[in-house]
Amino acid sequence: MHTIRKLLYKDGTWAFLMLLPNLLGFLVFMVFPVAATFAISFARWELPADIEFAGLANYRRLFADGVFAKVFWNTVYFTAVSVPVGIVLSLFLAIMLDRKLRFVRFYRAAFFIPVISSMVAIAVIWQWIYNPEFGLLNYVLSWFGIRGPTWLTSTTWAMIAVIMTAVWKNLGFNMLIFLAGLQSIPESYYEAAAIDGARWWARFRHITVPLLAPTTFFVTVMAVINSFQVFDIVYLMTQGGPARSTSVLVYYIYQNAFQFFDMGYASAVAYVLFFVVLFLTLLQFLRQKRISIFY
Amino acid sequence: MKKRLIAIGTCLMALALVFAACSGGAGRENETGPQPSAAPTSSTSTSTGEVVTLRFMGWEVSPLETESVKKGLEMFMQQNPNIRVEYTTLPTGTEYVAKMQTMILGGEEPDVFFLQSDYYRDFVKRGYLLNLDEYIQRDFSTDDLIDSAILLSTVDGSFYGIESCIVAPVLFYNKAIFDKANMPYPPSDPAQAWTWEEFVDVAKKLTIKNGDRVEQYGVYGLEDYYQTIALIMSNGGNWFNEDYTASAANTPEVREVLQKIYDLRVVDGASPEARLLQNAGMNASQMLQTGRIAMLVTGSWALQELANMDFEVGVAVLPKFKEAVTHGQAHLHVASKNTKHPEEAWKLIKFLSSEDYQLQNVRAGLWLPNRKSLYTEEGIRKWLTEGVHPEDFEKLIPYFLSSKVYPYAMLPSQRIQEETTAQLDAFFYGGLALDTALQNIETAVNAVLAEMR
Repeated sequence: MHTIRKLLYKDGTWAFLMLLPNLLGFLVFMVFPVAATFAISFARWELPADIEFAGLANYRRLFADGVFAKVFWNTVYFTAVSVPVGIVLSLFLAIMLDRKLRFVRFYRAAFFIPVISSMVAIAVIWQWIYNPEFGLLNYVLSWFGIRGPTWLTSTTWAMIAVIMTAVWKNLGFNMLIFLAGLQSIPESYYEAAAIDGARWWARFRHITVPLLAPTTFFVTVMAVINSFQVFDIVYLMTQGGPARSTSVLVYYIYQNAFQFFDMGYASAVAYVLFFVVLFLTLLQFLRQKRISIFY
Repeated sequence: MKKRLIAIGTCLMALALVFAACSGGAGRENETGPQPSAAPTSSTSTSTGEVVTLRFMGWEVSPLETESVKKGLEMFMQQNPNIRVEYTTLPTGTEYVAKMQTMILGGEEPDVFFLQSDYYRDFVKRGYLLNLDEYIQRDFSTDDLIDSAILLSTVDGSFYGIESCIVAPVLFYNKAIFDKANMPYPPSDPAQAWTWEEFVDVAKKLTIKNGDRVEQYGVYGLEDYYQTIALIMSNGGNWFNEDYTASAANTPEVREVLQKIYDLRVVDGASPEARLLQNAGMNASQMLQTGRIAMLVTGSWALQELANMDFEVGVAVLPKFKEAVTHGQAHLHVASKNTKHPEEAWKLIKFLSSEDYQLQNVRAGLWLPNRKSLYTEEGIRKWLTEGVHPEDFEKLIPYFLSSKVYPYAMLPSQRIQEETTAQLDAFFYGGLALDTALQNIETAVNAVLAEMR
């Protein structure tokens, strides 16, 4: 009795009790599935057949699977193009909109709208834009005498088309983070530099870029992680086609899990993704520690 | 941020299962909403007391199809006052199969549903379907079904569903375009089928350019495995060997056909890129109607939609390589193994397989009969409908009657179609060498078939 009363007067007990609902949810919907997926990845489980232990068979199959190699490469390609392009563009936008412009709030909101728009609507509109015969994009290109490709049905251009849409959609989010980063740089540095006669480029190169480094790093890692998990846009715009040229890791997981119901193999692919993302996250954590020491 | 990361990255499967179950529930809620077709229930619940509600699911190729189904269901509910049927349509194609399997695994499956023949054997193998043998033995005669219908509906001698009808790839054409060009219509009589060369010649003549821009293409719709297989069969080839134990993709018969289909678009420029125009919010039927294409190769089911459009449509046999052939199959009506109302589910399947129900859809142009009695002279009179079936349609009947078995329907695997489509896309649109594509199909298909045994 005494101990219970004592516990009730402790802050820790109350904190724990208040957190319990959230904690339970986290355990049931996060920790348990993560652990279960790991276990399933070592099993042969083609629903609705019974699950049976299969050792490393799924992982061995991964290495021999040409499709897996293809989707992994596609994911890397998507990331390698969309992340740098997205970051350069959003940084540019952030700098442009970090000034005393008329209607600056309107512009910021306008660029942010795609971030909060429904991916389904975006996919439909971009499919129209990419239409080779009646689409806006090829129409604009034709002004310059360029005959645009067939975009979403071309094995070379479909991925580029998907990347352009993805960059456009995420531009506003990165822009916002960059804006916050830019505004946290004290104005006095720029004033001092101006007095010393530094021009725009010198100020950008020697003040903005280094002081923005933590933000840039954060945005980069987040963008890479998100790119590795790209799914909705591919599912909606191309379904991985044509000829798997836009098929990515998560789409392959989806196909194996919910088209072929091969849960074991899907789990194994999911764990490859997990380790990639885990690695990137650790990188971010380590770097964050270092940065907080420096600044 | 970390929460979201883990959620998307690794719990995808478990979470999606939960979501799938939720959406299944939501789907059911929708059904109980306003439903005009459930009208006859008010008079019935008083007469027999307990009313059983069946959940029935299918897809919608065109709104006309759903209308046909609902009309039929009203008839069924009048005949069976103690059964209420709630009909819902899902997206078609692979999405349909994925959604259906998720519902089955989540215990949210409908009692009765449509199933594409391509996936029937896969579903039987996975044990999703109710064995219908005892019901069929009791009160259904399969004697009238054509041979291919029985072959397709039975797995190791047992029925798990009944093929609804047959549909077959055919050549549709816009009569006005041929009249304007002063050219004879494509032949409906299989004995007079065009050779491939004659066909290409016509397609080229009907391709009209305005400067750099093509205003009218000769033909559309061949670069799809459903249509392509008919031409391969016409050349004496097939995707598989005779007992479906190995791939037959890497053969001269297949190679010749695929190369010629490719040339028709790329070398002759007489065909637009597949899927290309659909993105403009125009389906193939509308392209034919508006004269964007002169001929359309697609499944015979399109006749219902085409006949309802405001132009004169003709139906012809496909061009031939060695012999004029097409293939026949259609979706099956099946019941879930775990249905709580097997007796009522069977009643519905029996009704959907009845001559009355079939006739209704055949008359509308959506289906072709799979009953022998409907192919006799007297039987044909029952369904040939003016304003739906064009003049020469009767000449096509031997073509449908001798249609070959659709090979994908005989295999219990979804991976085969997936791999075949991917490789064909790579050949048609991705510059992959034909030999490589066919070798890849052969290797992948043989691996799947070996694993199945």
